[in-house]
Amino acid sequence: MSSGDELHFVPDSQLHTLAGAYVLDAVTEAERAAFARHLADCSGCRHEIREFREAAAMLGAANQVKPRPELKASSLRGIRHTSQLAPLGDDGEAGPRPPTPGQPRPYGQASRRRRQLLARVTVAAAAFLIAAGGVVGALMHDQMQQLSQSQRQSRMIAQVLNAPDRTMLTAKVSSGGQATVVLSKRQRALVFTAHGLRSLPATQSYELWLMGPRGDRPAGMLAVQGGMAGPAVVSGLGAGDMIGVTVEPASGSAAPTSAPVVMIATAS
Amino acid sequence: MTEPEHRAGSLSGPARRLDDLLPLIARGDERAYEALYDQAAGRVLGVVTRVLRDPAQSEEVMQEVLLEVWRTASRFDPALGSGTSWVMTLAHRRAVDRVRSERSHASRELRGAAAAHVIDHDQVAEAVEVSLDRERVRRCLATLTPLQAECVELAYFGGYTYREVGELLGVPTGTVKTRMRDGLIKLRDCLGYDGGVP
Repeated sequence: MSSGDELHFVPDSQLHTLAGAYVLDAVTEAERAAFARHLADCSGCRHEIREFREAAAMLGAANQVKPRPELKASSLRGIRHTSQLAPLGDDGEAGPRPPTPGQPRPYGQASRRRRQLLARVTVAAAAFLIAAGGVVGALMHDQMQQLSQSQRQSRMIAQVLNAPDRTMLTAKVSSGGQATVVLSKRQRALVFTAHGLRSLPATQSYELWLMGPRGDRPAGMLAVQGGMAGPAVVSGLGAGDMIGVTVEPASGSAAPTSAPVVMIATAS
Repeated sequence: MTEPEHRAGSLSGPARRLDDLLPLIARGDERAYEALYDQAAGRVLGVVTRVLRDPAQSEEVMQEVLLEVWRTASRFDPALGSGTSWVMTLAHRRAVDRVRSERSHASRELRGAAAAHVIDHDQVAEAVEVSLDRERVRRCLATLTPLQAECVELAYFGGYTYREVGELLGVPTGTVKTRMRDGLIKLRDCLGYDGGVP
């Protein structure tokens, strides 16, 4: 899964490609800040962002949910205890009016701290779980008819990632990269992903295996794009099985022909 | 940005546009805030619920967002976009921040998964105001390619970063970024935003 922000930081020259992700809030805190700085120097970007924001707002506003009536009274009570930011330029000063003692802390302070904390959080593979199901559920009926292979896979992935007994395991790949497995023993299934994998010559490919008391069973070839492989769903996980990856001829092998580049034990 | 706000304002046929209410709110006008609440609370709760799923947490975040609108109304700049998009941006960002924070706690994920079942689409449907806008958005989303739609929905409703979307879909991150942008261009064109009037 994602490692820390700093490892993936987008160089300034590529910032403009982030416009869509930025508006969808699909960026890290660090990228959000970098892009906001970039916007100051890029009027074309600002124009595009403004249009995108209107479209995203429509997307978000399309499913209104009526709040319980009592929430309104509590909101109106809330503002009476919440200080407001002075307009920029007021008293020649930009910034918050100091809150009067006894009043709640302005929200910005708490949320900035939370964002700093968030920026350090490594998002786990298990983080897929809610939206993997959510996206499938959110697909409209007509779109369901044309579910692509990857969407069908998303549904199977969601089942593992939503399993109450799921466990996430990560391991370094000896030839480079990191592998992540989320497994559900009850479903006897797992989801495998990897990133930072070394690319292989066209004659070779990574192959995934279940290795255990029942022998070594092939669990699929791993296509690598941009160093990433998976997510691949593997069923038939047995007690004592380990998950391994080997480098095999491109056509795959029935049994491993080389030493695994990664082995992950599933026993807890 | 008068034109887009006019269209966005048609979402619920509000008496006063948010663009007009926000400057009043910035000056501490509680009645203007109440009018904004009446117009915007349902939309804010709608998007927050789509992202967070848990009804109790979504209400809490909705309240935070609306108080943030009250607190920071003086920062609203109509030159940068409509009032609706300003409020929705605050709402979405806060929901995403919350869901990412929650996901970092394994125990919370269990409750999140349970909540995901509780608040399935049919049960929400009763509370959702069916509107022409909803239908329009549905139709516009259908103009996206499946990959564009997945990228946009995983990000906007799932709260995932483009990298996570790439890993989830097994697609290079560069492709994900492009599809997100292409998807938004299609949505913008389909929803009728042919460019703001600065």
